[in-house]
Amino acid sequence: MSQKKFELPMRRLVLDGFSFSFLVMVMLFAIFNPTEEQQLNLQFNFNVFIGSFLVGMVISYLLNASGVKTFGEHLFQPDYKKAVENRPMLKTFWGWHFIGFMLLLIIVGVFKTKFSIVELLNEDGFGGAKRLFAGIAEPNWQILPRAVLNMVETIFMAFMATILAIPFAFVFSFASARNIMTGKVSFAIYLALRTFFNVTRSVEAIIWAIIFSVWVGIGPFAGMLALMVHSIASLAKQYSEMVETVSDGPIEGVQSCGATKLQTIWFAIVPQVVLPYISFTVYRWDINVRMATVIGLVGGGGIGTMLVQYQGQAMWQEVGTIIFVIAVVVWIMDQASAYIREALK
Amino acid sequence: MSDPILSIKDLRKTYSNGVQALKGVSFDVKKGEFLVIIGLSGSGKSTLLRCINRLHDPTSGQITFNNSGVKTEIASIQHKNDIRGLRKNVGMIFQHFNLIPRTTVLVNVLMGKLSSVSTLRSILGMFSKADKDDAIKYLNLVGIKEKAHIRADQLSGGQQQRVAIARALTQNPKILLADEPVASLDPATCHVVMDYLKKVNQELGITIICNLHFLSLVRQYATRVIALKDGMLVYEGDPKNIDEAWFEKIYGAGAKEVHIN
Repeated sequence: MSQKKFELPMRRLVLDGFSFSFLVMVMLFAIFNPTEEQQLNLQFNFNVFIGSFLVGMVISYLLNASGVKTFGEHLFQPDYKKAVENRPMLKTFWGWHFIGFMLLLIIVGVFKTKFSIVELLNEDGFGGAKRLFAGIAEPNWQILPRAVLNMVETIFMAFMATILAIPFAFVFSFASARNIMTGKVSFAIYLALRTFFNVTRSVEAIIWAIIFSVWVGIGPFAGMLALMVHSIASLAKQYSEMVETVSDGPIEGVQSCGATKLQTIWFAIVPQVVLPYISFTVYRWDINVRMATVIGLVGGGGIGTMLVQYQGQAMWQEVGTIIFVIAVVVWIMDQASAYIREALK
Repeated sequence: MSDPILSIKDLRKTYSNGVQALKGVSFDVKKGEFLVIIGLSGSGKSTLLRCINRLHDPTSGQITFNNSGVKTEIASIQHKNDIRGLRKNVGMIFQHFNLIPRTTVLVNVLMGKLSSVSTLRSILGMFSKADKDDAIKYLNLVGIKEKAHIRADQLSGGQQQRVAIARALTQNPKILLADEPVASLDPATCHVVMDYLKKVNQELGITIICNLHFLSLVRQYATRVIALKDGMLVYEGDPKNIDEAWFEKIYGAGAKEVHIN
């Protein structure tokens, strides 16, 4: 007798459970209209959320068991179950489940962002914006030389961050590629590196800039370090994905000649990934120039720092000059990197 | 009669997904012969070749390699360096050539020296003059010396396979494994490549074990043939003795022989 393995469709249950608990929370909010103190009672609210989440999972399970297809099931069902849906979406349960969930999200979103047409068209505020735009539209060219000088600093911040990230990312990319790290020990290293890079990448470059500006002091060096850390994590991920897609033929060919692991990587894998690597790297420099501008806002040096100084004093004409310089450089970088990447194909 | 160069006994291979590719295959390979393995796709031919140079690890059984009196038990080699040493003696060519793209023909052929050059020297590209001369010599043997400095992916299929042969010869192997070497080539090129394999076999005395699909090629080039079906050996003997009845037994009832000239 063969017993069929029983597995819970977790992803479906989580999505359905979440949509149900979200509905419950919103309804409770609308009925009881809680005070701010009550809203801040995380313990209690969390319990309500988890409770209704579990109830939602049970409901999802019962619905699907009795043949009613929920949104979670529609999204996460395995490929072999995916049949051609003949009925229009509006005549299915999952369709209304999805629409209801989206509507609820949008309604809550409107409240949470304090979305207001009145504010947008408020006369005072609008007048301020007009002054700002008038200033920007009439840049003060007197500060152009300094803006250009600062922009050069920004470009080199990005350049150095990219260059210094390459060797690290190159080495780590092989150590975090699934098809290379096959043994038990290697697999542990692979998992550790992957996790480390995911965490590093999920911390935005602007946060790294804040950390490094405390560490090494405000200025372009802090900005460069922040961009470097972020670039290493991003490039290592992109590089290692390339390594995972190389074709096995050359690897087998080189191995049949008695190559060691390092020789296999160097002779069979590197030639296959070198062009995409360069392409990613050029693109990363391009991204870093744009990020370097933002990083300057929190003390990373370069054009961003200059921008935040003038913006703080509401000197819009000077801000206009800076925005002009940024726009020109970003546009040129964007085009140049596109041409270079095209040529590398 | 001398001892066989390769003696395979009850070789079994079961993949991790449960597929039994080889279910106890036994046969001998004589020194200097041109042995051809035939059989349907999925009959275990490729697995068999890959067990011999340990690209795959056999599940059980013995593969005894007799290198002029020095016997090695291939199936039970554990250490990586020993596998590397084995591959010095066993070259291989593949259906899809498996050359390195974006790299010159010469560097591709020099890959045959990887097992005897230190990792550091090879990565720095420091191959000796003798190694390079050797590479050129074998490129000359397969008739494409003048292509040495062209990128390997710029060559035609037949030329790429000849580069692959030169790469394998640069290892100075005792045995050359050929996994469907002409399956992705056109009929004319097919014979050119097979003729070079024959030349390698007869002039250099290298033992060849070759997977093939076309019986007409088998009759023309093989000195002996074995047939696999569902991971088991079903025929062993002279290629001329494979008649209609044997053909049906190997390839299944209703199969028709395709001729290529």
